[in-house]
Amino acid sequence: MTNNDTLLEMFRLMVFSRTLDRVYGEHDGHWHGLEGEEAVVAGVYYGLRPTDVLAPHYRGMPVASYAKGADLRKLLAGMLAKKTGYNRGRHRNDICGPPEFNLIGLYTGSLGPSLGYATGAALAAKLDDRDDIAVAVFGDGVSSRGDCHESMNLAAVQKLGVVFVCQNNQYAISTTTEAGVAGVIAKRAEGFGMPGIQVDGNDVLAVRAAMDEAVLRARSGAGPSLIEALTYRVAGHFYSDREDYRDPELVERWRKRDPIKRYRAHLLDNDVLDEHGLSAIETEAAMQIECAFEKALSDPPPDLEDLGIDAVYAEGASE
Amino acid sequence: MTRMTFQQALVSAIAEEMRRDRGVFIMGEDVGSFGGPLKSTDGLWEEFGKEGRVIDMPISEATIVGAAVGAAMQGKRPIVDLMFLEFLGLVMQQFIDAGAMHYYSAGAVRVPMVVRAKYGVGPHHGHQYDLHSWATNIPGVKVVAPATPSDAKGLMKAAIRDDNPVLFIEHMGLYHASREDVSDDPDFVVPLGKARVVRDGADVTIVASAMMVKRALSAAVQLEKAGVSAEVVDLRTIAPLDKETILSSIRKTGRLIVACEAIETGSSANDVVALAAEKAFEYLKAPVARVSPPSIPVPFNRELEKLFLPGIDDIVDAAERAIQYSDTGALREPVRA
Repeated sequence: MTNNDTLLEMFRLMVFSRTLDRVYGEHDGHWHGLEGEEAVVAGVYYGLRPTDVLAPHYRGMPVASYAKGADLRKLLAGMLAKKTGYNRGRHRNDICGPPEFNLIGLYTGSLGPSLGYATGAALAAKLDDRDDIAVAVFGDGVSSRGDCHESMNLAAVQKLGVVFVCQNNQYAISTTTEAGVAGVIAKRAEGFGMPGIQVDGNDVLAVRAAMDEAVLRARSGAGPSLIEALTYRVAGHFYSDREDYRDPELVERWRKRDPIKRYRAHLLDNDVLDEHGLSAIETEAAMQIECAFEKALSDPPPDLEDLGIDAVYAEGASE
Repeated sequence: MTRMTFQQALVSAIAEEMRRDRGVFIMGEDVGSFGGPLKSTDGLWEEFGKEGRVIDMPISEATIVGAAVGAAMQGKRPIVDLMFLEFLGLVMQQFIDAGAMHYYSAGAVRVPMVVRAKYGVGPHHGHQYDLHSWATNIPGVKVVAPATPSDAKGLMKAAIRDDNPVLFIEHMGLYHASREDVSDDPDFVVPLGKARVVRDGADVTIVASAMMVKRALSAAVQLEKAGVSAEVVDLRTIAPLDKETILSSIRKTGRLIVACEAIETGSSANDVVALAAEKAFEYLKAPVARVSPPSIPVPFNRELEKLFLPGIDDIVDAAERAIQYSDTGALREPVRA
């Protein structure tokens, strides 16, 4: 059974995510918000080893980076393209987490290849006889990519320690799952000879339970699993999305099923923490993010030295 | 020294590097007990198969290269046998990402990966497309094209040791052709990024790679009989270009021919031409000429194929036209159209 520390850390991460959405979304209208999907990221991203490799969904990349140990201010500086960010302003930290934390981000806007990279990370662990795993997270949209099918097949054939997680928020930008996805994503696992489960993606404990089982299986060398966490993208595709492709009433219905409120009530009902304690977590998250954001905002921009026209190739070779 | 074919030299390079570094492994379609397409991994299964370092792959090129990228990010040194360069279109996204990773992470990650791909007009009569130029347009990717068994070995060893993604193209017309003495020294490498002057000359420079080096050398012999001294530069590494070796040859001869098997539109040969125009204009005595296939798909019929591919005569003709210009750049007599 999940201990109280884990229960609270997952809550903290959900609150962190919602707060980051507010602070960053107000700053940048292109921000890919996570409202409504926090139970998935908290259930999946919390508690991985530093040596586990995580290829997150782009929606939630900063939360994944933070959960893997990235420094918040440096991360925010990277999102703001400052000199002080993780990559000197060369690339977007909002969709690409720093690889020094074993994160696999997006190096272009092309979705899907990162599933192959995660599969390769698990292959490396197998070749080195390590029980580190790779977690590959993708949306319902990417479930249609060839990369997704190729990676699942390869991971299953080679018995690689990959946990595939489909963060099914029912939209690929404006395309609904009805228009884009045939059948049930979780059921595809059977075709690859691996376990597949669909869970309520608004229930962090259900996500966590599925994750625990899949991680155990991956570490044991038994091979990959697929978890489909069914949730809903309450946020627009990006913060200033006009969202004229969907019915606002439907969005409101899902907003009422807020995973954070639901989990908060659970924590209170089960005496994990009292109202005062939960409020303190919320206040702390707001202060932490607002403070780090203000500092990052005042950091200097990159300059000519950061452009690095001679930095494209890695120097040196194996000894 | 051991006398080896191009194919044997490549396999021996990989075997030596796999013995030297346990992080090196090879994966691809039919690389296991089958021995690889055109025997490209012949014998590796027998020596390294039990260790799990020779891995047969499903037909999933994008994810084979993708898995190589992911393993390389973890510090392994994967080699992918892509089979044929005409599959490059299936793995371009992976090359784009891999090429960007070092720069985009401000040096936090390296992607030491070699992707081998066979190509070229030759005895195999299929899978000929020379599409390497695409990869030269991707920042952070190296492109290597050996012309001889010795260079095949030395460049492959250097590519495996290199900390960057490398597209290593293997011309099938050279694969099982002539043998030559190849070093057995485990530390023998041919550095990436260094072209080689394979024949000294005074009147005209012919820049080429892979099969075109062979043809350029034959052309140089013919030109010599006609009193023209041709210098032949083998690029060996096509990206990044060894600009200094190319420029110093142009400064010496004042005339440049670039022979390339890729079609002329968007060809990597154009970068050599641009280099001459931008950095050696004052040394040029004659217009620069490319000897390239026309911008059509590779035709199937043998005779059409011959017409498509630049031959020795095409290189000789181009050089003779350049020689029509005197040392002061004046036309000696009208050039035939």
